[in-house]
Amino acid sequence: MRWGRRVAWLGGLTGALVAAPSALSAQSSDSLFAAGVRAYKTLEFDLAAWTLRRDLAKASAAGAPLAARAEGLVYLGAADLFRGRRDSATAVFRRLVLLDPRYRPSRLVFPPEVTSLFDGVRQQTKAVAIALPGDTTIVPGPGAFGMWIIASSFQLVDVTLRYEDGAPFRPLYSGPIGDSLNVQWDGLDAAGALPAINRVLLRVASRAPTGELAGIVQIPLDLRLARPDTLPLPPPPAAAQFLPERARSGVATRAVMGGALLSGVVALLPAVVGGTDTQSGPRMAVAGTIGVAGLVGFVLHRPGRPLPANVRANKALRDAWQQRVAGTTAENVRRRRDVRVVVRANEPTAIQPRGP
Amino acid sequence: MRVRLVRLALLAAPLVAGELRAQTLRPTMSVSLVRARLRSEAPAADQFAGSAFLGEGTLALRRLQLSVSYLQGTLDPDGAIGAPRDLVEGTVLLGVRPLDWLTLETGPHARAYTLTGGTQRWLFWELRARAATAFVGSAVRGYAELWRVVAADVNVPESFDHAQGGEAGMMLRLSRAPLEGRLGYRIDHAVLGGGTRKETVDGVVIGVGFSWR
Repeated sequence: MRWGRRVAWLGGLTGALVAAPSALSAQSSDSLFAAGVRAYKTLEFDLAAWTLRRDLAKASAAGAPLAARAEGLVYLGAADLFRGRRDSATAVFRRLVLLDPRYRPSRLVFPPEVTSLFDGVRQQTKAVAIALPGDTTIVPGPGAFGMWIIASSFQLVDVTLRYEDGAPFRPLYSGPIGDSLNVQWDGLDAAGALPAINRVLLRVASRAPTGELAGIVQIPLDLRLARPDTLPLPPPPAAAQFLPERARSGVATRAVMGGALLSGVVALLPAVVGGTDTQSGPRMAVAGTIGVAGLVGFVLHRPGRPLPANVRANKALRDAWQQRVAGTTAENVRRRRDVRVVVRANEPTAIQPRGP
Repeated sequence: MRVRLVRLALLAAPLVAGELRAQTLRPTMSVSLVRARLRSEAPAADQFAGSAFLGEGTLALRRLQLSVSYLQGTLDPDGAIGAPRDLVEGTVLLGVRPLDWLTLETGPHARAYTLTGGTQRWLFWELRARAATAFVGSAVRGYAELWRVVAADVNVPESFDHAQGGEAGMMLRLSRAPLEGRLGYRIDHAVLGGGTRKETVDGVVIGVGFSWR
């Protein structure tokens, strides 16, 4: 009996241990954040700071969303502030500003001590975020590709496109920025030509008003030129479509042979029907006239005679084809000029200068 | 023989009815001057010659056609002896065109000579075949026609033996005008009484016609 209870207890323990890690891993991050916030709200700031630091370490390692990490950081900064660790709070808020220059703590949740410290840190910290379409196709020209630069506070920025090795490709903007700035690229290089490379780096360098480099954010942009297909030239008219431009021998032969045959029929008609005792004069006159008509037809349709109607028809056919060729050529020229640039943005990277 | 022709016409009637649907009628008409010559051997030979007016009309509906003709004139004797004869002819022929160049026709052909002693009437039931095609470009068409009498009713003492005829010539059509000129030669020859009487009528046809296509 005792053995049975021990086996049952061990089985239950094993089951709990097997099931626990997955559930814990799924909930631990949320639980740590919730526990940290709960501790903050119950004024247990040491516990809150300890819990939130653990939560942030896990969230950073797991690549948690920006908003989740920002929420953790603001609670951590506030907890450090109320623990009397102002420097630590300042460092946390600075990290938060660098992470998301647009972030503002809620003034309904956090007291003025926290928000004023955060605002002070934000004013001191020069950071930018870049908002741009992830994948787009542009027609090169003024205002073709726009991007928003969002600044944490007033600063100077240099916005440039660079080759992958860092050499300048195209300067876009250099000057002050307050809250945000719309910077545009026309899709061309510094010489005004289409980019001949497949990748550029969009680099935004932040500087303090004193000119000191405060940070760099850069985004690799993949470029691809897209040209519409050109149309095939219309084929020339088939030989069978052209009419003969000179009379062939068939018509002339038919005229003379037909005339001769019909003359013969007229001449022999009495013999065919049996009335042989007829005057041959009128009959032969008719037969002769028909024969002459055949000869005239032969002369009129003699082989090699130019056929102006057919010449005109063939010219119209050739002209129509050449017109189609010209139209297609013009369309192809237009299509060759109609080059588009496909721009695909990659993940941004931030570079911070080393402190003194 | 007449009964057989009536039966043939009744058999052809459904075909005609099928062709009549939604077709366009194509009429043609022509007037001609015929310089005709009659040679009658019964058994003494008499010859007459003269001019006659010939009017013809055709109504075609796709491959079917109905043609009528009327000829009238006076034939004078070749010698000084004898009285002139008035010649009147008429035909009503129903035809079919199995090929573009071939037309087959059948129908009655009546002829009358007005003599001093009375009127000699001939009634032929004929089968005709006519071939026509252009031989000088599309402007000049040649035609040749043969006919054979399959039954006849003649008010002469001799019994009818056989008769046949033919016509050949050309039609000139200039440009796209509906007017066309015609020059032809026609002849028909009838034998009666086992050869004791022969009648031959031939002539040159010169005419103009209107053809709406």
